Amino acid sequence: MANATPVMEAIDETLAGKRPVFEVVYEWATTVDHKKIGLMYIFLALIFLIVAGIEAILMRIQLAVPNNHFISPQVFNQLFTMHGTTMVFFMGMPILFGFGNYLVPLMIGARDMAFPRLNAFSFWISAFGGLLLYFSYFGASGLYGAGSAPDVGWFAYAPLTAKVFSPGHSTDYWTLSLLLSGIGTIGTALNIVTTTICMRCRGMTMMRLPLLVWLFLITSCMVFIAIGPLTAAQIMLTLDRYIGAHFFDTQAGGSAVLWMHYFWIFGHPEVYILVLPAFAFVNEIVPVFSRKAIFGYPAMVAATVAIGFISLSVWAHHMFTVGLGAAGNTFFVFATMVISVPTGIKIFNWLATIWGGKIHFATPMIFCVGFLFQFLIAGLTGIMLSAAPFDWQLSASYFVVAHFHYVLVGAIVFALFAAFYYWYPKVTGRMMSETLGKWHFWLFLIGFHLTFDFMHVPGLLGMPRRIYTYEAGRGWEMWNLIVGIGAIFQVVGTVCFIFNLIRSCFRGEIAGHDPWDAWTLEWATPSPPPSYNFAIEPTVHSRRPLWDLKHPEDPDSDYE
Amino acid sequence: MEEDGVIQQQAQEDGNSTITEAVQLPASTPWPMVLALGVALMLTGMVTHWAVSLLGFFLMLRASWGWFFQVLPHDHHISIPVQAEILVITSTRTTRERLPEGFMHRKIIPIETFSVTAGIKGGIAGGIAMTVPAGIFSVVRYHSFWYAVNLLAAGGFVSWAGQTDAFLGQFHLKGLLAASAIHGLTSILIGLLYGAMLPMFPRKPILTAGFIAPFLWTGILYSVLGVISPILNARIDWLWFVLSQIAFGLVCGFVVNLQVKVRTPQFRALPFSVRAGLHGDHSDTKDGKQ
Ligand code: HEM
Ligand SMILES: [Cu+2]
Repeated sequence: MANATPVMEAIDETLAGKRPVFEVVYEWATTVDHKKIGLMYIFLALIFLIVAGIEAILMRIQLAVPNNHFISPQVFNQLFTMHGTTMVFFMGMPILFGFGNYLVPLMIGARDMAFPRLNAFSFWISAFGGLLLYFSYFGASGLYGAGSAPDVGWFAYAPLTAKVFSPGHSTDYWTLSLLLSGIGTIGTALNIVTTTICMRCRGMTMMRLPLLVWLFLITSCMVFIAIGPLTAAQIMLTLDRYIGAHFFDTQAGGSAVLWMHYFWIFGHPEVYILVLPAFAFVNEIVPVFSRKAIFGYPAMVAATVAIGFISLSVWAHHMFTVGLGAAGNTFFVFATMVISVPTGIKIFNWLATIWGGKIHFATPMIFCVGFLFQFLIAGLTGIMLSAAPFDWQLSASYFVVAHFHYVLVGAIVFALFAAFYYWYPKVTGRMMSETLGKWHFWLFLIGFHLTFDFMHVPGLLGMPRRIYTYEAGRGWEMWNLIVGIGAIFQVVGTVCFIFNLIRSCFRGEIAGHDPWDAWTLEWATPSPPPSYNFAIEPTVHSRRPLWDLKHPEDPDSDYE
Repeated sequence: MEEDGVIQQQAQEDGNSTITEAVQLPASTPWPMVLALGVALMLTGMVTHWAVSLLGFFLMLRASWGWFFQVLPHDHHISIPVQAEILVITSTRTTRERLPEGFMHRKIIPIETFSVTAGIKGGIAGGIAMTVPAGIFSVVRYHSFWYAVNLLAAGGFVSWAGQTDAFLGQFHLKGLLAASAIHGLTSILIGLLYGAMLPMFPRKPILTAGFIAPFLWTGILYSVLGVISPILNARIDWLWFVLSQIAFGLVCGFVVNLQVKVRTPQFRALPFSVRAGLHGDHSDTKDGKQ
């Protein structure tokens, strides 16, 4: 029943010599099909996940024992910069937009994105941005001297980025590559918004959109607001560096705090741009595996809109230590704490969805449970940090690093893994192995907690972030060793995952159209979907169109 | 009908089953990629050599030209033959446990809950009630009702931080306005939060709102008040503060309890006999265990 995936088809035909490699590559490079573009996004992101993961491991090896000389201070600076930048811009955003690209048209019953060619352009320009970033390793002093890879941190604070402190081109690589990927991000966001507004199938009113689509819609709107300031700041920085403007040059009357404002007006919403799609996956997966409708659909939508707005007004909680003054700090403490209201609503609604359900602990669901638990804890340390006096103590320490990795890995990466297991059968027509999935989950869970639970401790004990080594006898050694061991567990877990991805492509159980007994439209087409998505454009009558098809005697539309 | 077998797709259901033979989709095109490459090379030239930028520039021109004729005067399309006439939704994995097809098979629990607006109403009522103990305290201790008002308002005026008790005891219009705004806004927000939490504790709003929440809230405030309002922090009397919080909570919980509970869709789907109260709803626990 299941036809081969485009990927497998391509591999098979190339191996069998039916089609020359060039032809296959050309087909993918010129495609404007939203599904193929989505897959390319995800593929690109996985590559960068591996690269940035290797960078993380190198850092952890360096920090595992005191007084280590595994890598030089300069290379360490490059590693954390490249790791952070890659994870945020070339792993997080592309992978989320990849899923968005793939799923949004399918879920709203459309044939394609609104602007298919713009879609291709957006993907390629982000991809070239990533290549340019890594091309920096070949610049100037070459690969082994680590070239001129950026070394100013992913937030590139002024005045460190000024020409005097950062000669050569390392900082330019950072700016230019993010400029490129920024263009792509805006393009994709534009596409998602237009597609959602204009291309819904018959009967798909806004209040019947799958929550995933709602969340991608709001995320995309946030992209419009957030990427602008970043781009502006980067152009200003480029002017500073190339033609001697003085926006951020403190020696000449420029302002370093100006950079911080620009950066965090982008940077904080960015966190939500990454986390909302993660919520989106959980919104789809939890109800299906609890065998219940999502609890409080309208409240979920409202809370998401509220999060979108509020998160735009809290950026300066990253700047408590700058000395904004009492009034400024007060405002941002308060604004930050207010976010816990809509976030709380979401958590309660997920719990209420699970509550009393008939829960099926398949791999996607256990990853979601991990997500719920870890997101809660990350939220709590977030509230702690939003109190300015607490932040004054811990701002540049490993406590902060532990906190944001709790969000980025504990919540976002877990939700992403859940999404992979959940939608893989749709994309390839085959199931991923549950056994390997469980191994992946447990190894990764243990590794995650070893790494990031214990990372809070050296933070509280005063270990600053971004130091390349430390002396023995400060009470940090044991904790750093545990953290390092945890990282190894995560690597092993991820290897299980990658192996599973590849193996299941050839050996996985045939999935059929709707292996999870799900509710949204993407499961109403064959797996993998044909290039036109739906042979007949669907019509929907409720929020759970597949429920209606399976239970015509008791359709959902009676309940709305 | 409902055994998981073959489920026919929309087409027949809706009677609009004109099945098209082919679908028009946009044709593939290399130009978006080449344009992206051109733009990328133009920037790359800034960190390598100007010749790279030049190359990028020409690629950009060429790609724009190509793209232009892709969409003008007409979008290039290809038609893809449609393979399946009628799509059937089959599940090859029918072993999965299904919820029993009883009346609870689409469980949405709880059956009844308070609405979020109940929380807001409670918050407003509580906010009003809270002014009573605060006012009494202010009169007893400082012989002026305005003291409490100004103290709260001072959080918004940095310049009031050093003011004397006497100053705070007088009436200030600015103070009254600021205090009302701060107090009103927080009461509504807290009400909103209760509203969101209530479905989780549908049975004991008094306990939740009256004691647990004020307790948590006071704890948080106790630790952060120094930043939010140093002046309040310096002069606050925690005993009275907790009392006002409890007043808030009790009244809020009371008002919430007066509200009618809203029925979730689950309730509306129950058979009439259950809704009318003729039958109990005990099957719940049974099929939960199964
Ligand atoms: C999977 C295991 C991971 C490990 C072991 C790890 C480890 C690290 C380490 C050691 C640092 C340097 C901290 C410092 O010295 O300041 C760091 C920084 C960072 N990481 Fe990760 N990381 C992981 C995953 C991720 C993911 C998934 C993301 C994002 C989606 C991410 C985003 C960042 C960011 C933004 C920084 C800040 C860079 C900076 O300080 O400039 N990391 N990570
Ligand atoms: Cu933030």
